[in-house]
Amino acid sequence: MKQLRVVAVVLVAVGASADVSAQEPPFPIAAWSRTTAAVEDSGAATERGAAVFNNWCSACHSRGPQNAPGTASLQVKYQGSVPAALEDRRDLTPEVVKLFVRNGVAMMAPFRKVEVSDADLDALAAYLARR
Amino acid sequence: MPSPPPGFSERDFQAALRELEDIVGREWLFASDEDVLLYRDGYSPLWGEAEERKASAAVAPNSVEQVQGIVKVANQYGLPLYPISTGRNLTYGGAAPAYSGSVVVDLKRMNRILDVSARDKTCLVEPGVSYFDLYRHLRTNKIPLWIDTADPGWGGLVGNALDRGGGYTDIEFRDHFDAHCGMEVVLPTGEVVRTGMGASPHAKTWQLFKYGLGPWVDGIFSQSNFGIVTKMGFWLMEEPEASLQVAVTVPKRRDVVPLVDTLHSLMCAHTVPSQVNVVSPLMAGNNAEMLRLRGSGGASDEQWDQYAATAGGAPFWAAQFVYYGPRNVIAAQWQHTKDRLAGIAGVRFQETASYTFPLTDEQVEAVADKARYGIPSLNLFGSRTAPGAPPLEGHMDFSPMIPPHGEELIALTDFTGKVYADQGFVPSFVGGLMFHPRTMICFHAVPTFRTAADNARTRKLFETLVRGCADRGWPIYRIHPVFQQLGMEMFGFSGGALHRLHETLKDAIDPNGIVSPGRYDIWPKRLRGSRA
Repeated sequence: MKQLRVVAVVLVAVGASADVSAQEPPFPIAAWSRTTAAVEDSGAATERGAAVFNNWCSACHSRGPQNAPGTASLQVKYQGSVPAALEDRRDLTPEVVKLFVRNGVAMMAPFRKVEVSDADLDALAAYLARR
Repeated sequence: MPSPPPGFSERDFQAALRELEDIVGREWLFASDEDVLLYRDGYSPLWGEAEERKASAAVAPNSVEQVQGIVKVANQYGLPLYPISTGRNLTYGGAAPAYSGSVVVDLKRMNRILDVSARDKTCLVEPGVSYFDLYRHLRTNKIPLWIDTADPGWGGLVGNALDRGGGYTDIEFRDHFDAHCGMEVVLPTGEVVRTGMGASPHAKTWQLFKYGLGPWVDGIFSQSNFGIVTKMGFWLMEEPEASLQVAVTVPKRRDVVPLVDTLHSLMCAHTVPSQVNVVSPLMAGNNAEMLRLRGSGGASDEQWDQYAATAGGAPFWAAQFVYYGPRNVIAAQWQHTKDRLAGIAGVRFQETASYTFPLTDEQVEAVADKARYGIPSLNLFGSRTAPGAPPLEGHMDFSPMIPPHGEELIALTDFTGKVYADQGFVPSFVGGLMFHPRTMICFHAVPTFRTAADNARTRKLFETLVRGCADRGWPIYRIHPVFQQLGMEMFGFSGGALHRLHETLKDAIDPNGIVSPGRYDIWPKRLRGSRA
């Protein structure tokens, strides 16, 4: 029961941009489940990273702006200079992904290891830093 | 390494941690600086100051037996524990303990949905189950039941209910503690109890009948530190045939009196089933004249109505709520509502959303006000509203309760508006939110910061609001751990008799004082000197 309607989640771009066109996630995600699907280890790092993103990040950072307050915030922050949706970024490094997940930023609280384990974080970082 | 609990030698602390590690395994004992920092309260009003509440370690059990083992070790060493469920109660303390040096017992791994009965419309879950988790389970298995979710869907049913949080659907479900039925608790002694009918080993009604036999003790495990709840049952809402979301607006300041009286009457008569928001669109934003009137703390109805006449047509008050049920019943309820409110000059009625259930995946995605339909999300976190706006760093909820009377909402708005202005803050949005059947909560999101000077200002503001509102008859219903001593002070009838009763219970139930010392200002004997 919180009534705050204005919350900014801001990520800072680190690393050089790569001139690579946006790629779709490796598998379609049912709309209703994209914030809720359990993480399943398929053995493929990218798919695992996508599943971690789906489970823990997409409720704020999916391709929005609808139902994606983090994406909407990044759109305001960067005004289109980089894609607002994290999955469309090509300038993220694994290190910066890990930094924000474990430290949080603005209203985004850090994620604990019982939530996103180190192994899951490795997969997530690889997924978001893919070129 | 993080500091051991106060009074602990490093040697004893490390010995206790080794025993905890033996119980849960190396992977689930967190004692390095890097890991323990993940249990900070990111919205702490004491961020970075010596008094910030910090854990000394964290341990993540996966079973009731492991919880019992942890409690046994804690008793042996006098180790303070601090159980959390999902740890996402961000505006009321997050994953950080009430007493610095506590070992957080992180129950997130205990995330099993133990039972869902479509026939009885109940569930039994562990503390780590989030609203997202249960929603997914119901949706995947096509079970036509709704959850009542807190605003952030990553919250947990157990933790939110135990802190007496709430949601938005039917009155039977949106008071989350009231909607629970039966719990299992590891007592501070390590003994496991089941409440209600769960105490009868063969009962078939643990999640169906709340009371069992003898004193009903469930209440003492909410907003307290008398045990570690490891299971809770809840009643779930049967998916309705349809819904209709509506808005009612009225133009003048004093119109809020008949508006709230009538809606409360309709709620009590079960004509209006959902939570009702009564907010002031006119008093939102940053218009200088509006802020001047709010800051004056005593502008008259005439002054406000004069302002409203020049303010571009925004209604003074707007109420929003939802009907659930068969379409023909909804139509009759809505017509009756309009008939009852028609006497307010200038009242306007609007139908804002209508659904037939079940929703398709695409409809679920498109629903704007998801929590009103039992759909978890994080949409409340919103976004920047204007380019260049500074990102917010956190906030605490200030949550005074008032009678469901428009006069009280006006009076609280006058008082708090002046407090904010006098202390140099922009005032909170104006709203009376009818979650419970006989009260309104007037939430304010009080900002927190990462700088000591700013937080000193915010703590002063928060304390002024808490004391001033309590003095006027509007005490809070829930409060951040940093202010729980202040909160309980507002409940000081008869020299603090209620608080003394709480600590009498604490001494009896938790003789070594190991579970959540200081939570809701309940301290074990050995630490009562820790109270400021």
